[in-house]
Parts: sequence; C-alpha cells; structure tokens
Amino acid sequence: MWCPSPARAGWAIRGEPPTTDGRIALKNLQAQIASLEVRAARGGLSAVSRAGLIELIALRGQVLGLIADYERAEALAERWALDERTDSLAFLARARMRATFHRFTDALADLARAEALGLGREVLDHERAGILQAVGRSDEATELLQEALARRTSFETLGALAGLYAERGELARAEHLFTESRECYRRVSPFPLALLDVRRGQMWLEHGDLRRARAWFDAACCRVPCLAPAQGHLAEVEAAMGEPEVAIARLRPLAISSDDPAYAGQLARILGEIGRVAEARRWRSLAAARYEELAARYPAAFAEHAAEFWLAVGDDPSRALDLG
Amino acid sequence: MADHFSGPRALADPVSDIADLYAFPHPERAGCLVLVLDVFPFAAASARFSDAIDYRIRLRPVQAAAVGVDTALAVGEPEYIFHCTFSAPRDGEGSDQLWQEGTCLAPTGEAVSFQVNDESGGQASGLRVFAGVRLDPFFICVPRVQKMLGAGQFEFPEHAVNTIDGRNVLSIVIEADVATVVGPNTGPLMAVVAETVTRGGIGVRLERMGRPEIKNFILGPNAHDTVNRDIELRDLYNDEDAFKLAPHYLGAYRARLDANLTFYDGLDGKPDWRPSEGGNHPLTELLLADFLVVDVSKPYHEASFFEIERAMLQGVPHETCGGRSLNDDVIDTLLTVMVNGGKGPRISDGLDHATVTASRVFPYLAPPRSDPR
Repeated sequence: MWCPSPARAGWAIRGEPPTTDGRIALKNLQAQIASLEVRAARGGLSAVSRAGLIELIALRGQVLGLIADYERAEALAERWALDERTDSLAFLARARMRATFHRFTDALADLARAEALGLGREVLDHERAGILQAVGRSDEATELLQEALARRTSFETLGALAGLYAERGELARAEHLFTESRECYRRVSPFPLALLDVRRGQMWLEHGDLRRARAWFDAACCRVPCLAPAQGHLAEVEAAMGEPEVAIARLRPLAISSDDPAYAGQLARILGEIGRVAEARRWRSLAAARYEELAARYPAAFAEHAAEFWLAVGDDPSRALDLG
Repeated sequence: MADHFSGPRALADPVSDIADLYAFPHPERAGCLVLVLDVFPFAAASARFSDAIDYRIRLRPVQAAAVGVDTALAVGEPEYIFHCTFSAPRDGEGSDQLWQEGTCLAPTGEAVSFQVNDESGGQASGLRVFAGVRLDPFFICVPRVQKMLGAGQFEFPEHAVNTIDGRNVLSIVIEADVATVVGPNTGPLMAVVAETVTRGGIGVRLERMGRPEIKNFILGPNAHDTVNRDIELRDLYNDEDAFKLAPHYLGAYRARLDANLTFYDGLDGKPDWRPSEGGNHPLTELLLADFLVVDVSKPYHEASFFEIERAMLQGVPHETCGGRSLNDDVIDTLLTVMVNGGKGPRISDGLDHATVTASRVFPYLAPPRSDPR
C-alpha cells in the first residue's frame, strides 16, 4: 500500500490538536478491521461491534480512496438488516451505506425504521441532515443541525454545519464553524480532523482561493499522509498553480492504489494539458473503463461523475448524453 | 471485559481504550512493585501505541478513613506518576513493520528508553520497563456474566468459554523499586490509577481505570436507574480525576451505582447488604474511590484483589497485598461480593484462569498470537 512520509507530526505543530501519527493510525485501523472480520466469520460479533466493523471499513475506503471497501461495507450492512429485522443499529448502518451510494430515498426509509425501533434522535438527526443536504434540502438540514447544536455542542455537529454553510457559499460562517469544530476535538484519531480539513480546503478551492485551499489540504496530509481525498485535491491545486509535474508525481501512486477513477481521470487531464498525450491516453482508458463499470452498477452515485468525465478528459460527449 | 470497550469514546479510538490495570508486589523481590497497563483490546500483532497519548500510572498513599459499613478511603499526598510516551514510527523501516520507541519517565525524573516489543525492555536504577503487544491475560465468560447479572441465572449446562481467549493487547509493564523510584517512606498502602491523556497543550483525559469492571458492570447498565437512565455516564466518568471527583455528576454516579448494586444484591433471592442511613448501598462510596489499593509491604499473592477493601468493610486487618495480579480471578471476586457479600458460596462465571496464564518473570504477559482468534 502506497503511503508517503509525513512532512511533520501533526501534534508537534504548535497549537494543533494532538493526534496519532497517520501511519500508526492506518496500521491500527487495518488491524482492527482484520480482527473484527475474523470474529465476524466465526459469528462472534455483538451489534455494536458489527456496526463498528461496517463503519471502519467505510472509513478505510474514504481514507484510501477504495470504492471496493464501500461496496464491502454496503454488502455487510444489507445482509445485517435482512438478518436482524428488529435491530435499529442494522438499519442505521444500512441507511449510511445506502446514502453513500446515493440511494437517498431508501436511506431515509431505513432511518425511519431505525427510529421506530428506538434509535436515539441525536444520531438520527445527524444522518437525516446529511441526506437532506445531499438532495438539496439544505434549509431543513440546517434546522436539524442547529437544533442538535442547541442540545449539545460536538465536533461532528459543528463540522456538519460548517460543511452546510460552505456549500451555501456562506464562507465566513463556515470558517467560524470549521474553527470551532477543530477546537472542540478531543480524540487522538487523526482521521476525523484530517477529513474536516479536507472539507475546509474544498470550500476554498470551490471559491477560487487556491492558497487557502492548499494550506488545508496540506494540513490534512500532514496528519494522514495516505488520505486520498487530501492528496487528490492537493494535486488539483498544484496543477492550477502551475506545478503540473508536482501534481503528477503526487497523483500517479494514488491513481495506482485507488480504484476510484477520479484520480486516474485527473492524472490524464493534467498529462494531456502539458502535452504528454500517450501517457494521458493510458490513464484516460483506465478511468473510462472504471467509470463505465461504476455507472452501470451504481448509476445514482456515479452517473453524474462519469458524465463529467466524458464531457471533459474523456472527450466523448455522446457517452455523457447516454448517461443523462 | 475488565474495562475493555468501556464507553462510546473508547470504541471510536481503541488506542486510548484502557483494557486493564494491574498492580502487585514483585513475586521474587521484596520492595519492588509491578504495574501493568493494558490498552487497545483485541489488538493485532501489528498494533502500535499512539504517539499523541501520555499513558500514565498515578500512585498516591492511601489509608482507611473509616471502616465497617461506612468504609471510606482517604488519599494523601504526594503523587507519583509514571509517564509512558511513544514516538512516531521510524521512516523507511519496511512496508509491514512499524518500529516504535518508547520512554517511561519515572516519578524521580529518570527516563528509561526502550524499543516497543523488545522483551528485554529498558532499564535504569530501580526501574525496568517493557511495552508491546502481548496476549491479554484477562479471562471472563461474557455470556454467562450477562445472564447472571441480567436475569439472575446461576446454573449453566454448557461449558464456560473465555471471551478474551487468544486475544492480544498492547501492554506496558513497569517494575519499580519502591524505595528508589517512588520514595523510601512510601506506603505501605498505595492507590493506583491508570489514565490515557492527550500529549501537549491542555492534556485531555481520554480514559481512566482503577478497579476492573466498574464502568462495564456497575456504571454502564442503566435499566435499573430511575434517576438518569438516558445518560451515558461512562464518558463523563472517564473525564474525571479518580483522586478528586468533581461534585457535578456525583449524584448521578451514586444513583446508578446504588441502583445496580442493589439489583445485583437481590439476584440470589436475598439481600445481603444493609443500606446506609442515607439509603446508599455500602459499596457505592467505596467503589467510587475507583483505584486499586495495594500494600507494597506484603508478599505477592495471586488471589488478593479487593481483600484490603473487604477487610475494611469487616473492620479487621487485611492479610494480603491486595492490588491485582495478572492471574487473579477478579470476575468471581466481584460477582461474589456484589451478589452475596461474600457470605455465601463463591459466584463464578465458570472460569478460574486464562488458557495461557501469565508468568512470574518479566515481562510477565505471554507472547502475542500472530493470528488473534
């Protein structure tokens, strides 16, 4: 597994929340998953551990850019909800994974089922807010999260609200909430904090402030060097700032280790822009094949991304129309 | 589990999750105390400590402030702390192994360095330290205990199975010459607590542990609590200083402990514990003083957990070192104390020892399984 060396230990940076070195955290995450899977195979997992396994596999997928992990987590959640019709945690897990694959209506139905089985409001409201945001109902999502914040301040709620305001273009408010969320962090796992920094960087990237975006992606990479979304966005910024070779060097190992075609597509685009046509074509083909596969299997989650690819570096608008 | 998975935060961050704390006199050397802090339950052989955590063991002198039904412990000054911290992994050491170094800072200010998983550990004057992955010595049949404490079932047709059998844990083992490292006039009774605290800055307490199963058996279950059933108390409890509980949540802890201890007392059909004048269970205040109590002047004993506290409750002198050794059957001791106050037959989960017991030789815990069950 590819993993670059960190520039410096996150916790050693003055004023930064101390978190476990990203390499240790990833190693321990891998080991936790392996241990839980062995126990699951022997039928020895409690509901809490089962939910934990699904969540950890999905987290690894997010960290390493592995869609196969999301698929595995989804399969486990689907089977669990089928096997345990009265376990609220099973429906919560399935709701989360269905939302990951953009099956939002099904996810909301699962949350309703979890609620009927007694799952607490705080957890449910968080999940509902995420789905409402995803389907464009941001006012309702904001209301849910504001109510949650009034009940209890938490890193997760502040971060979710920050993401909402970022999406709405309310940058000052989002910045304030990102900072509050960071200051609220009381754990040593580096992943949540690094992912928060990625979201913050995305906000600045979307609004054209490449310097600020770079700073937050860089901060995320310092904490978790292998964090695929941070590495991918950092490469995007580097290319935009006129450093294509740096971006290519960063993207190439990521495009190999990740099964998300976005990185191969991004690499193909940058290579093409600097005239390395043959190499660009190879990565384009890889991305194209993978987009075809994913768009067919998970149209809700990938059709739009695949269409964007075909309209740009994929250079086949007719394919994009087919997906529309 | 003794403190395995003891609260929502622990589940999210296992590297800060304290599984167990042990404190016992050295089996061969008088005046030497052995402290063992286990974290990261169900760890793989490749698990490593967090470089962002101060894994620490705190000791204070302690004595009985009262004995009998109102038994209370008084913790004194000064405090002696062993701080164990770990480095980020070394670069370029191969794709699979992460080499890690550790440092134990003794109360005297002396530091001992060691390589994680090096069985010889590190040594300095009066101090020896090991840290690494070992076989978890704890043993418990969780399904049986759940049925006992949930439904009062005490007869089981099936064979008891150790839920922790074959699992690994990250372990820190400290041998400390009491006179040299802690102080020549220390003890004999010492209160011992383990904590995981974030390094740098303010230092947030992530978890703490004294006696086994306080959080999982006695503080966690909420079905009988008529006062604060909806509150998850364990993370609040973990935030507190074991030697100085703040007043804010004391009432909630008392209500939860009273409710659960009273329920457990009635499981055998007859109450054995007489409530105090205030209506509290006699064990509540004692268990809220949540630390191991070890007599450093007594010899090693493998079945001495809670003996000092029980002697205090009876108003008689204690006979053993108390504390907790690695092979001590603490589950049976706790079950018996809670259900019949020690006045009836020993209540057992069906297990008297782990499949692989700990040894009497440093680093005491058995080598890890490479493929945990």
